[in-house]
Amino acid sequence: MRNSWLISKRELKERISNSAFLWMLFIGPIVSLFLIYLLFKAGDEGKSTLRILIVDPINLMDTKIVAQEGKTIDYYFTDKYIEVEEFRDSKKYKEFDALMEVNEKILMNKKAFIFYRENPSPDLKMQLKFQLERRVEEVMIEQFTRLSVDEFRQIKQPLNVDFRNVYDPKNEASDMEGWVGFVFGAIIVLFVLLFGMTILRSTTREKSNRIVEVLLASVKPSQLMLGKITGIGFSALIQIIGWIILISLGLFVFRQTIFPDLFDLSNWEGIQVSSDVQQQIIDSTPVGRYNQFIELIYDRINFGYMLVHFLIFFVLAYYFYGAFFSAIGATAGTESDGQQFLFPVLFILGFSLYAGYYAIILPDSQFTQWIQFIPFTSPVIVMVKIAQGYPEGTYYYSIISTLILVISTYFLLLVSGRLYKNGILQFGHHVRIRNLVNWLKKS
Amino acid sequence: MLTVNEITKSFNRKFALDSVSMEIKKGEIYGLLGPNGAGKTTLIRIINQIIQQDKGTIRFDGKLMTEEHLRHIGYLPEERGLYKTMRVLDQLIFLAEIRGLNKSEAKRNAMFWLEKFQIQDWSKKRIEELSKGMAQKIQFIASVLHEPEMLILDEPLSGFDPVNVELILNELKSFKEQGRTIVLSTHNMRSVEEICDRAALIHASKKIAEDTVWNLREAQKQGEFSIRFKGNMISFANSLWIDFELIDKKEISDSRFETIVKMRRGNKIDDLLKALMGNVEIEAIEERFPSMQEVFIELTKEKEVEDEK
Repeated sequence: MRNSWLISKRELKERISNSAFLWMLFIGPIVSLFLIYLLFKAGDEGKSTLRILIVDPINLMDTKIVAQEGKTIDYYFTDKYIEVEEFRDSKKYKEFDALMEVNEKILMNKKAFIFYRENPSPDLKMQLKFQLERRVEEVMIEQFTRLSVDEFRQIKQPLNVDFRNVYDPKNEASDMEGWVGFVFGAIIVLFVLLFGMTILRSTTREKSNRIVEVLLASVKPSQLMLGKITGIGFSALIQIIGWIILISLGLFVFRQTIFPDLFDLSNWEGIQVSSDVQQQIIDSTPVGRYNQFIELIYDRINFGYMLVHFLIFFVLAYYFYGAFFSAIGATAGTESDGQQFLFPVLFILGFSLYAGYYAIILPDSQFTQWIQFIPFTSPVIVMVKIAQGYPEGTYYYSIISTLILVISTYFLLLVSGRLYKNGILQFGHHVRIRNLVNWLKKS
Repeated sequence: MLTVNEITKSFNRKFALDSVSMEIKKGEIYGLLGPNGAGKTTLIRIINQIIQQDKGTIRFDGKLMTEEHLRHIGYLPEERGLYKTMRVLDQLIFLAEIRGLNKSEAKRNAMFWLEKFQIQDWSKKRIEELSKGMAQKIQFIASVLHEPEMLILDEPLSGFDPVNVELILNELKSFKEQGRTIVLSTHNMRSVEEICDRAALIHASKKIAEDTVWNLREAQKQGEFSIRFKGNMISFANSLWIDFELIDKKEISDSRFETIVKMRRGNKIDDLLKALMGNVEIEAIEERFPSMQEVFIELTKEKEVEDEK
């Protein structure tokens, strides 16, 4: 045990004194925060002002669009015909960002052209389309019906069919939560892959520079293997905890400074409708979705609960896959030889990500029920499931998954230890399945 | 001190060691000789419990060898290896710690040896910054750092320049004076002659000879004498007649020769002296013992001939 500890201490020291480790500790969270910032910012894009000149010679719009124009888009009306070329070249129209022509045909063919100087953001386009559509609708109601606008909209309202799980009738769980779980699972896979490769490289390097023989004269192969996996695992844990702290801090700073008003729906304009309709609109627009994302990040996810499970499954998954990487490193004759045997492990890791995606899309399928217990996929699936929320009375599934993973890891470490022991002093050979079977048989 | 009893080990159904036994006494320097692939490294690895024997036992101080005994052994493998990016002192401390020393002892001993070899300036250097010979020295220090009772050294002199070979040999002699036991596997036969008390020759997985170095050489002597004389070479050759055979001759200066003469018909040194006296002026004469190099080659050939039969 003492020797394993010494080995792991040396490994940890070597990793954390490596400049690449420090770079990754800071660069990783910074890149993640930058991406989150971009996502937030994308939803916040519509705040820049767009000036639209509407050519309406027959005064169809009655010089108004939506009861109250928003802060983002300003509409200007003219009854004079303007050609596109004139709009493009004439100095007097330079102050306008886009030109739109409205005539009686619009009511029949429902087709309008907007000529822009600079392509507006998708969010801005969405708002523009929404506001114009509603104004045309109002004109049509007035011309073709005797209904009030509200009556018409009540009739027009589509039947909202909402599919809900019998175990989750209030629809508290959602895809979005599942995706958060998936991100946690993907981080596990990412770190297992990154640090698993470190185990592989470190083992093959010890083999190729022959220090392994000096070590094995004092340390049992299983102690060496366990020490190495643990030491590198500690560095992974430090890295992950560093990421968690830095990303949490970043999110806190975002909320306090850059995006304090993102929850305030009145900040995004043009929607003067009832709350139900508002919610539908929110769901259907990018701005709405981004606000949901922010709400999800800050309010709906129980990060404490997630993190506890994340750490448990990270450690187990790391040892589980670490045993593979270690055995591959020890049995490989050369570094390139090891990379060949790496492929199946990479494939399995990739598959576990796909399985996580599958669990989000079809959380109640038979397949999802099974793969949550399989140790190769359980770390990702359980994270997705925990984020989605286990249906009442089925939380024990996660305990079963954990137990299966613990037992599998234990046996895999034993098997891997045997391969490690018999393979670590073999040099320059080409690994064949026959060798592996023989080494497994040897005590 | 170390009893190797009937050790057998095979790889892929081929014997690497076939019932090899030996007794290494406390305080002696024991040479483990043999051509490449004979099984020496396998035996050393088995003693160090790096690999397991198929059959046989190893006893340390009369007790079956356990992991605990490894702390009393210092091991320098043939394939040298150190962590290339680690600093010299950190590396020595780490290797001493896994041999059972605590950190402060490990540091103290490491500094002692670095100072002894006058290389304390290297303590902060990374191994990759050192030359091969320098790294060899560090590796040697790593094997003795925990003050082991027994040292097992596999080719400890390879890669060293003559000055450092002398340095290491002197260290080994000094270990012997301190009563420590050394098992030395080497192809450097001069060092075997110089420092080994006893030696065993392993060939094709079997031990084919074991004795004191002197006895091994004596057993292979061919009744040859080395003679230095002043005079005429023809007179010298004529005086040998058919009772002696002139094997080699070399003129070392004007009318001064060095020759090797082999006895025939059971003649002894007295007979040789009688035959030569009066014909040439003898300056030196001594019985010629084969070098360990010759013993090694001769025994190996004998074994190969035997195997062919």
